[in-house]
Amino acid sequence: MKISILGNSTGRGRRTSAAVALGAVLALTATACGDDGSGAGDGAEGSGKGEIIFWDNNGGVRTEIWKQIIADFEKANPDIDVQYVGIASTEYQSKVDTAIQGGGLPDVGGISASMLAGFAAQGALDPLDDRLGESSLSGKLNKDMIESLRAAGGGDDKLYSVPTSANNGVLYYRTDLFEKAGLEEPTTWDRFYEAAEKLTDKGANKFGYTIRGGAGSIAQALDAMYGQSGITSFWDSTGKKTTVNDPKNVEALEKYAGLFKKVTPAADLNNDFTKMVAQWDSGEIGMLNHNLGSYQDHVKALGADRFRGIPQPTGPGGKRVQVSNPVDGIGLFKTSKNKEAAWKFIEFATSAQSNSKFNESAGQVPAHLDAAKDEWIGKAEPTKLAADALSDGSTSIVQLPYYLPDWNTISKAENEPNFQKVLLGDMSAKEFLDGLAEQLNEAQAEWDEQMG
Amino acid sequence: MITKEATAAAPAPAPAAPEPPRPAKKRPAWDEAPRWQIYLPLGIYLVFTLIPFYWILLFALRPAGSTSLVPWPMTTVHFEKVWTDRSFGTFFQNSVLVGVATLIMTTLVALAGGYALARFDFKVKRAFMLALLCSQFVPGALLLVPLFEIFAELQMINSLGSVIIAETVFQLPLSMILISNFIKNVPYSLEEAAWVDGCNRMRAFRVVVLPLLRPGLIAVGSFAFVHSWNHFLFALMFLNNQEKQTIPVGLNTLMSADSVDLGALAAGGIIAAVPVVIVFAFIQKWLITGFSAGAVKG
Repeated sequence: MKISILGNSTGRGRRTSAAVALGAVLALTATACGDDGSGAGDGAEGSGKGEIIFWDNNGGVRTEIWKQIIADFEKANPDIDVQYVGIASTEYQSKVDTAIQGGGLPDVGGISASMLAGFAAQGALDPLDDRLGESSLSGKLNKDMIESLRAAGGGDDKLYSVPTSANNGVLYYRTDLFEKAGLEEPTTWDRFYEAAEKLTDKGANKFGYTIRGGAGSIAQALDAMYGQSGITSFWDSTGKKTTVNDPKNVEALEKYAGLFKKVTPAADLNNDFTKMVAQWDSGEIGMLNHNLGSYQDHVKALGADRFRGIPQPTGPGGKRVQVSNPVDGIGLFKTSKNKEAAWKFIEFATSAQSNSKFNESAGQVPAHLDAAKDEWIGKAEPTKLAADALSDGSTSIVQLPYYLPDWNTISKAENEPNFQKVLLGDMSAKEFLDGLAEQLNEAQAEWDEQMG
Repeated sequence: MITKEATAAAPAPAPAAPEPPRPAKKRPAWDEAPRWQIYLPLGIYLVFTLIPFYWILLFALRPAGSTSLVPWPMTTVHFEKVWTDRSFGTFFQNSVLVGVATLIMTTLVALAGGYALARFDFKVKRAFMLALLCSQFVPGALLLVPLFEIFAELQMINSLGSVIIAETVFQLPLSMILISNFIKNVPYSLEEAAWVDGCNRMRAFRVVVLPLLRPGLIAVGSFAFVHSWNHFLFALMFLNNQEKQTIPVGLNTLMSADSVDLGALAAGGIIAAVPVVIVFAFIQKWLITGFSAGAVKG
């Protein structure tokens, strides 16, 4: 130590130091008074009263409608108080995973098919089959959606999430641009490719189509592939080998990826849905593939009469094939100490009235059969067409393997950069699909092994 | 202080010799360059920097659905929407609280720690400095689960205190190193002189050293404020109540899984950026001095 002089501190100095220290302690104490919201009981049924916490897996845009539903619920159940927490969809999985590891899960949470397997595998969710069987909801919910969630749930044939809505792939096209160019509605893949070419005028910054090259590109590419090839199952007859690298799919992907820069903006290479939707809404691009979720954005930006949203084009023989969009739902966390009240909320939120209200706002297909008959569906054309396509037998749905714990990793982090290489011509479609198939087959084999 | 008085008359000063003419000072090359060679690249750079900001402003101020390249007719509807309907008013207050508390705690602790590092020698000082530096290589995401468990144990989940502590702890290593370098630049003899005049160490530090540390304190404080203002992860993970969330978490919720309100997102972005811009506008002089002076010695 260089030097140390032990002198008397002045009274003023001591007072200042003490005040600073006290202030810091008080500030921390004051901010530390919150309830941890953990609901950290041990899976108790509870009294059916008191507070429950609900984590919305798509918070933000849907916050208002959830708050309305919660207000209705609290009016009908004055003994129960629901605390709403809206979490951005992109962060939901990591937040729940952290809470599973560290404690602090809510009572109820939004659980879509795409993240169900991971949560169920960690034992975080309560099975809901018995509760649903005894509920007034029994027989009132769309069976396909229930089966989709059951299949995604981790292989034990239990239902961990009550469906609220289904999304569906939509081909949005600009009616004004089509009329001007004298083009027919892009109801078939041939017409789609023809329109994409004819609507493109690069010099004038006009393009026929916008392709998704960034985050979320794989699902869209799969939709285009299976739609064109007409293959209706993700796995072959043995159930062990995927069909993604079937020669018909390879050919379809080559054609689809060939659109990049030919009829699309070069910036599409990094397109996630936000950029893709933004440039379609504000530019002169003929067609866009997205789902029902962005319908209201297009209405706000373009007005309802300048575009239409139709189901995906039909392929060979007039057959329409689409890949499944994850069904959304609500689940009950195992750690809830007030499961009775939590279930009451789930029942209320998926009742005909609430489900209709929610889906009208979200523009999606209701899970409740009575809600699906409501008047608003007829007015929201893309939702009606999607609901019809999903229920009238005209469309074959290729079920994506959401049940594979590695599905999200394989379909996102590991293969999105490779798809960009395909767009740039640095990798062939066959090479890309063979690699994807290898990973999928491996994940399926592991899954089969785990399930015995 | 004792001064020595002169006892003899000072000799008369000799007449000053004429100073040799000084060579003409050579102007630096950049000073001789035509102005346009300086302003043109700077202007181009500025355009590239400002276009994204203009774009945000455009989306925030023009009505939804407009494709105009100027924000006219102008609307404040997006700001009203995010401020009231999307609770940005509350998020803003929370962010201010977190930012200011982090600033105060980081500065106080860094000051104390930095002083110890600058003025005292102890056995493990080099290892301690190395540990401080190494702690900067650990990403916050790696420590999320342990931090979450600690705060849960302390009943601090869903409390702004957890975010303030976590932000402070992550800011401290760099802040302490910077402050200690600053203190090393203040001559030790100044403190010694104050002790001779009767100050104790604390008073000498407060009266003599502290005023000279202003650029360093501003640099460290503003860095702590801006970092905690923008930081997303801890607030997302440790705060569960909508009323306690901060601006970055609120911004994130403006983009849903398949829908995005660009007007609201742009308005939220401006609300998030304004305090940072104001802070930098006021302190940029001190900030540059602070970082450059604090970085001289290791």
